[in-house]
Amino acid sequence: MIDIEKEAARVAEQGESAPRLARDPVNLPMINNWLEAIGDQHPGYTEVAPPAMVQVWTMGGLHGQRALDDPLGAMMKILDEAGFTSVVATNSDQTYHRYLKIGEHVSVTSTLEDVTGPKKTALGEGWFVTTRSTWYVGDEAVAEMRFRVLKFRPAEKQEPKPEPRQAQAIRPSINRDTEYFWEGCRNQELRIQRCGGCGLLRHPPGPMCPECGATKPKYLVSDGRGVVYSYVVHHHPQVPGKQTPFVIALVELDEGVRMLGELDGEPSIGLPVEVVFTKVDDELTMPSWRPRADR
Amino acid sequence: MRIGDSLPEWHVEATPTFVISTAIATRDFQDVHHDRDLAVKRGSKDIFINILTTTGLVQRYVTDWAGPEALVRQVNIRLGAPCYAYDTLKFFGQVIEREDQNLTIEVVGRTGHGDHVTGIVKIEVMA
Amino acid sequence: MNAAIVGVGATDFSKNSGRSELQLAAEAVRAALADAGLEPSDVDGLVSFTMDTNAEIAVARELGIPELTFFSRVHYGGGAACATVQQAAMAVETGAAKVVVCYRAFNERSGHRFGQVQTAAAVNIDNSWSYPMGLGTPAAMVAMFARRYMHEYGATSEDFGRIAVIDRKHAATNPHAWFHNRPITLDDHQASRWIAEPLRLLDCCQETDGGVALVVTSAERARELPQKPAHINAATQGSGVDQFTMTSYYRDDLTRLPEMGVVARGLWEKSGIGPSDVDVAVLYDHFTPFVLVQLEELGFCGRGEAKDFVASGALELDGDLPLNPHGGQLGEAYLHGMNGIAEAVRQVRGTAVNQIADVEHVLVTAGTGVPTSGLVLGAS
Repeated sequence: MIDIEKEAARVAEQGESAPRLARDPVNLPMINNWLEAIGDQHPGYTEVAPPAMVQVWTMGGLHGQRALDDPLGAMMKILDEAGFTSVVATNSDQTYHRYLKIGEHVSVTSTLEDVTGPKKTALGEGWFVTTRSTWYVGDEAVAEMRFRVLKFRPAEKQEPKPEPRQAQAIRPSINRDTEYFWEGCRNQELRIQRCGGCGLLRHPPGPMCPECGATKPKYLVSDGRGVVYSYVVHHHPQVPGKQTPFVIALVELDEGVRMLGELDGEPSIGLPVEVVFTKVDDELTMPSWRPRADR
Repeated sequence: MRIGDSLPEWHVEATPTFVISTAIATRDFQDVHHDRDLAVKRGSKDIFINILTTTGLVQRYVTDWAGPEALVRQVNIRLGAPCYAYDTLKFFGQVIEREDQNLTIEVVGRTGHGDHVTGIVKIEVMA
Repeated sequence: MNAAIVGVGATDFSKNSGRSELQLAAEAVRAALADAGLEPSDVDGLVSFTMDTNAEIAVARELGIPELTFFSRVHYGGGAACATVQQAAMAVETGAAKVVVCYRAFNERSGHRFGQVQTAAAVNIDNSWSYPMGLGTPAAMVAMFARRYMHEYGATSEDFGRIAVIDRKHAATNPHAWFHNRPITLDDHQASRWIAEPLRLLDCCQETDGGVALVVTSAERARELPQKPAHINAATQGSGVDQFTMTSYYRDDLTRLPEMGVVARGLWEKSGIGPSDVDVAVLYDHFTPFVLVQLEELGFCGRGEAKDFVASGALELDGDLPLNPHGGQLGEAYLHGMNGIAEAVRQVRGTAVNQIADVEHVLVTAGTGVPTSGLVLGAS
């Protein structure tokens, strides 16, 4: 086990890293490249540089290597070894004591200010590492930056745990008007509402006949045979209790009403199907469709 | 310029050209800022804007509003969701403190993925 | 009707607003009032629609609206969009209120996602004939209609895709659109994955975080306000025979949207105009197949002819019937039709990003597959 706090204290004790000189003095071509890329039309940057460029002067460049005494580099190495392998910057606080003039040549030093952890974050468990950099022209400190990164162990991708309630198929709501249908399924009967007044067949059912106004719903037991009127092959998103892709078919029964159900088979419009009952538990049996053998 | 004043909303189209040219202009050559294949391989959706550019944009947003006479004293930013190529980065700002010629402006830069940057900028304006 | 839309407002449209739904609603209403040149204290009516978590009184509190004499909430989700304006206009006409704001705001992507299976909805007895069978998303419910429509009229997935291509083309030049600068080709559409066959990903609208608000007042009051009013020439709701929410599968004909037919008859009768007088059509486009069916129900073409009508280029910005110049819900944002009404107002004002020349009449429709509504907005 690496004692991260002890290692951090050791790095902090080393104090300020040796000054690192910028590749180039503050110069107009680099300022103009920066203004052009950022799209900044500020007219004032002919003698001085935009303050937000301060870090640009001392960037390591295309083939840059961290100096051996760079405290951030040292701390990253320690945390890498401890298994905190990912990094994300969280804060950059820059203070500009004055604007830099063209021709001035800055150097930068860094110290380790703070290492705190381990902290649980949305990204995973990690340590916050704060460094302080100071830019100098000669002996004069011209700008400072507190820079904080989170060095973290990526949270393991959580396998979607099948939640018991989610995994189960959605259950129907059942009331006085629809109980006969679900009771039929439990008894392996596909029931269609038939008006006790005028004989109208109706699915889905309801308490009052829209044809004659009677409130005497009865039912007949269907042969459970029909043809596919339309269908959907469902791919996304996941549906509780189903393995995607799966087929839902709207079936026109021989008696003339339409009914939805899952179809176990290759779908097509006009496909002859028959009902199958699947017992979910003592309370619930679901009707679904399969292609007819005699088609 | 009073406390409560809002800065006009500003939109930056983070085209790939913008992401790459600003990364190079700030001398940040990390591959995630210019090489989409490597950025994707490292788990990013696309190349994304580097921190030095975000700092530069925040400064520009404030000086565009305050005028060239204003002096920037401090840019403190907290970084959130990356700003990827093809994102629109929308900046909002408000003056939250004023002491004589010293103003503090709160700035938020937001993409469709959430807040990319939140922070404060301290400036000094002409009397 | 003697009423007009005098202000429109919206938040940014995103995938993660970073704000509460109430804040989105409050921001949108405030923006709409500022656009109208009115103060919160001028408002005395609020209308929203179901599946919006922002209570009218909560919105009133945030805005500092002191008193309300009219508040209303219309049913059936996206089908209610244009009906909010109808409610507002009726309130203004009857004197129930003087200034009514219609609003919709939600975190539909970062919060409660509309495209997922709504297990909670299954407690509804009507839904017990579909959800337990595995039919639980809006896309799948529309796909059932689309398959039959293809079967009867020979329409193809490409015919649906052309709607997505048009919307995304228009969104590409709209900076407020989520898909700004991101047009697609028909090949992109055909290469996109299946969601619920025959619907592909690019047949389905996005999920959006955001808010939109509209300010309605009388035509007289509108004359004193800064914006050119969008006059409400006609507004109506529609529900058809044997109507269900998204699953009206038990009617004789599965290739129609009779509820939209009801809306169409009402709009043409009340406005005194017909299909050929429409300068811009803002048609509800949460799923592409229903745009084709709407064109038929509204009388722009005959039954089964929408695919040829679309392929003719009529829906382009320079066509006979420019469709969704803002990019629609497939391209701009999915604010359940409210952003489409805002676009219609801009077209009447002449201030839209993709402005059509000399707009006299704009047709707007609301959600399809559910009891719905529609508007004709006019320059006079």
